[in-house]
Amino acid sequence: MKIKKGFRLRSVCGENVVVAEGIENIDFSRIISMNDSAAYLWNNVQETSFDVESLTKLLLEEYEVDEATARHDAGQIIDKWLEAGIIEK
Amino acid sequence: MPQDDNKIKTVQMPNDVFLPFVVEQLKDGHTVTLPLRGRSMRPFLEDGRDKALLTLADYPKVGDAVLAEISKGVFVLHRIIKIDGLNVTLRGDGNLGNEYCSLSDIRAKAIGFYRKGRQTPDRTDGLKWRVYSWWWMRLYPIRRYLLFIFNPHIPQLFK
Repeated sequence: MKIKKGFRLRSVCGENVVVAEGIENIDFSRIISMNDSAAYLWNNVQETSFDVESLTKLLLEEYEVDEATARHDAGQIIDKWLEAGIIEK
Repeated sequence: MPQDDNKIKTVQMPNDVFLPFVVEQLKDGHTVTLPLRGRSMRPFLEDGRDKALLTLADYPKVGDAVLAEISKGVFVLHRIIKIDGLNVTLRGDGNLGNEYCSLSDIRAKAIGFYRKGRQTPDRTDGLKWRVYSWWWMRLYPIRRYLLFIFNPHIPQLFK
């Protein structure tokens, strides 16, 4: 999986949000809000393709959680990003 | 940890912090698509349904729908009905009363509106908006009654 072109994470009013940005237009009608750990994952998969495995690894590196929880959360976040249409297979 | 619930929620940000941020993006040369809230631009624009395509307002003129900061942190997207030197009079299409601000309070200008979920905007230099605007401005004397007729409560009476 990889991040779709044109979606950029930025900080708006103290919130981490992903906004659809074209060269000319910025679409604020679809803003996807992220918490700190989701933003951490997003920032770390900018240039690379990723899957549940790599997100799990990233979570384990940054947070003190067991592998099963990390894997569960990684799977959830991928589902969510797919649903939001900000990543593609 | 990543969000625990799996639903996509609509988050509303307060206008007084969000819109200044949007204006910054406009200053960088972008156009911006913004969802619309409120009923003050009815009947053309509906609350929560439509979106505005905005650009920096370089030369605002009478008839333009503009984003203006009418007092600190209070933003409206309304139509200019009069410019007298630096003094601007605004009125929402769905309103009967006016607002007043200075020319420098006008932050952005609508160049189009995405209506009814469409992918292409009704541009403000297009025929539809111009014909609508021409009529709607001239019908101001009977606007009170038109707004009543176009009010969503009327069709409900016949259900």
